[in-house]
Amino acid sequence: TQGKAHSLVPLCSPTLLLFLYFKNEAVCVCVCVHWCILCCVHADAGETREVFQKHQPTHVIHLAAMVGGLFKNMRANLDFWRNNIYINDNVLQAAHEVDAVRVVSCLSTCIFPDKTTYPIDETMIHNGPPHKSNFGYSYAKRMLDVYNRAYHDQERGRFYTAVIPTNVFGPHDNFNIKDGHVLPGLIHKAYIAQKEGSPLVVWGSGTPRRQFIYSLDLARLFLWVLTEYQEVEPIILSVGEEEEVSIKEAAEAVVEVMRFKGQVTYDTTKADGQFKKTASNAKLRQYCPNFTFTPFKQALKETCDWFVANYDSARK
Amino acid sequence: MEDNILDQSAPMRVLVTGGTGLVGRAIQHVVREERGIREGEEWIFLSSTDANLMDAGETREVFQKHQPTHVIHLAAMVGGLFKNMRANLDFWRNNIYINDNVLQAAHEVDAVRVVSCLSTCIFPDKTTYPIDETMIHNGPPHKSNFGYSYAKRMLDVYNRAYHDQERGRFYTAVIPTNVFGPHDNFNIKDGHVLPGLIHKAYIAQKEGSPLVVWGSGTPRRQFIYSLDLARLFLWVLTEYQEVEPIILSVGEEEEVSIKEAAEAVVEVMRFKGQVTYDTTKADGQFKKTASNAKLRQYCPSFTFTPFKQGTFIHSTGNLRKTFWENSGECGLVFTVCLVLPSIALKETCDWFVANYDSARK
Repeated sequence: TQGKAHSLVPLCSPTLLLFLYFKNEAVCVCVCVHWCILCCVHADAGETREVFQKHQPTHVIHLAAMVGGLFKNMRANLDFWRNNIYINDNVLQAAHEVDAVRVVSCLSTCIFPDKTTYPIDETMIHNGPPHKSNFGYSYAKRMLDVYNRAYHDQERGRFYTAVIPTNVFGPHDNFNIKDGHVLPGLIHKAYIAQKEGSPLVVWGSGTPRRQFIYSLDLARLFLWVLTEYQEVEPIILSVGEEEEVSIKEAAEAVVEVMRFKGQVTYDTTKADGQFKKTASNAKLRQYCPNFTFTPFKQALKETCDWFVANYDSARK
Repeated sequence: MEDNILDQSAPMRVLVTGGTGLVGRAIQHVVREERGIREGEEWIFLSSTDANLMDAGETREVFQKHQPTHVIHLAAMVGGLFKNMRANLDFWRNNIYINDNVLQAAHEVDAVRVVSCLSTCIFPDKTTYPIDETMIHNGPPHKSNFGYSYAKRMLDVYNRAYHDQERGRFYTAVIPTNVFGPHDNFNIKDGHVLPGLIHKAYIAQKEGSPLVVWGSGTPRRQFIYSLDLARLFLWVLTEYQEVEPIILSVGEEEEVSIKEAAEAVVEVMRFKGQVTYDTTKADGQFKKTASNAKLRQYCPSFTFTPFKQGTFIHSTGNLRKTFWENSGECGLVFTVCLVLPSIALKETCDWFVANYDSARK
């Protein structure tokens, strides 16, 4: 059995907490209220089973994972691999044992093959090794898809599935500069640089490209998947390919929204990570042609405002 | 951690998981009868009665007890086509547990070397041929045994991760093709194709009934004799320095169809009855042709035991070619093979008949 909370995300990802604010249905509240407990016990099979037995969920949204940005992953591929495999195995098996009819897990576009054609789509997950910077995390996430197929294959009627978001951002993120993801890292750096009158130093060349999805949009789509999406095969949840921006453009957007007046520099001695991960949202568009994503600058502003207003308590 | 994984001066303490299985028994035989156990060396062959490797605590305990410096990790939940098709989830989960427990326990006792065992059945289903070591993760495996396949593939991920995060760890893996030999699982329903055919031929002979081969007989396989695999395993344990895995197999030209394999079994078992093909049964993957070029680069002179009576099962032209190719380097060994045939299939069949009562079936 593994260690506990210190190696796991101790609080919710931005997505699930927001369920509390705009959806008041029993199942959502139940999941949210118990989310923090679930986060801390997933690496232990016994504790996981216990909490599932206690709550007897009919539906599960499985978001818990050991996560981190590029630099944290590069140092600890073994830990990312093992801890996430344990979490996923414990959760899926516990859900199955209480006969939950639905489990929706969360993958990521960073797990796709490094050498690939673009845009990537749902059929390509296993078509080659992932980027070497985070191969431990990537393989663990990929194996969620294997779990879903295996439960469907061996335990007839199990339609456990997964979503694949691109880069998520929003309130309640992990804004730790060293271990967090790129957007919250930039927001935090801009905040500090503004206070100290120092330059905003962007790690890397600024050229890699990403599609960003606002956590609230992801949450809305998650709820749709939970009740309407009927496949075992995963589904990419993302803005379209045309919304892809470079890290430089993202940094400039942060500068504008935070009204940062200082200098912006690029530390090219730092790793860039994967150059692009352009994902197709064609499958989503087939199912939900009318879904409207929150415009990037608006979503970014809400996130920055939240961070500034909650600086003291924000995870960083 | 030791700087030199090939430090031959320090005596090894080798722990073999799955030590009483098909490959484990072959390694036992080669270590004791051919190589010999060197001074100060210890070889421990574990079976499932020694520890339940799906349990982390029991695994850690047996590793702490023996403090191995080297590990040959063979233990797995295995089975032929039909068993896999029914239980992909169990094959996935049980093998992930076993592999995680063994590798972590080995790491914790500072074992300098772990050699795990993959299989060519784990390669991508949609692929070009021959397959080689770089292609393991290049697409989903055949759907009949995807649970087992992914669990085995993840051994390669473990090896890279231990090397990546725990500097100096050169844990690696071998990739045999279809293994056969004495001490195999001859269960018709759950075993692999060759032992299944041998057992069926034995029963058909006794009962005067036809030998029914499942499937069309057209799929193709490379078979490696367990004793040859054992010899190569020992070489990998002490000489092979890469984290990347290595295919251990006869050459591509040795690939045979299931039909040819069945005919070889019929000949060796001297089965006189009728042979039929039940095409309502699944065929499994059509081919898995693997390249042994990497092995040949390292061990150009290694000679595989002939499959059956002093001949290779392919055309006369190829036989002549193979003979002349081999004779230049190991002509003496080849000649010895013809005079005193060490015949893989015959030895296996003889063993099965002699040990019918106690054989796993």
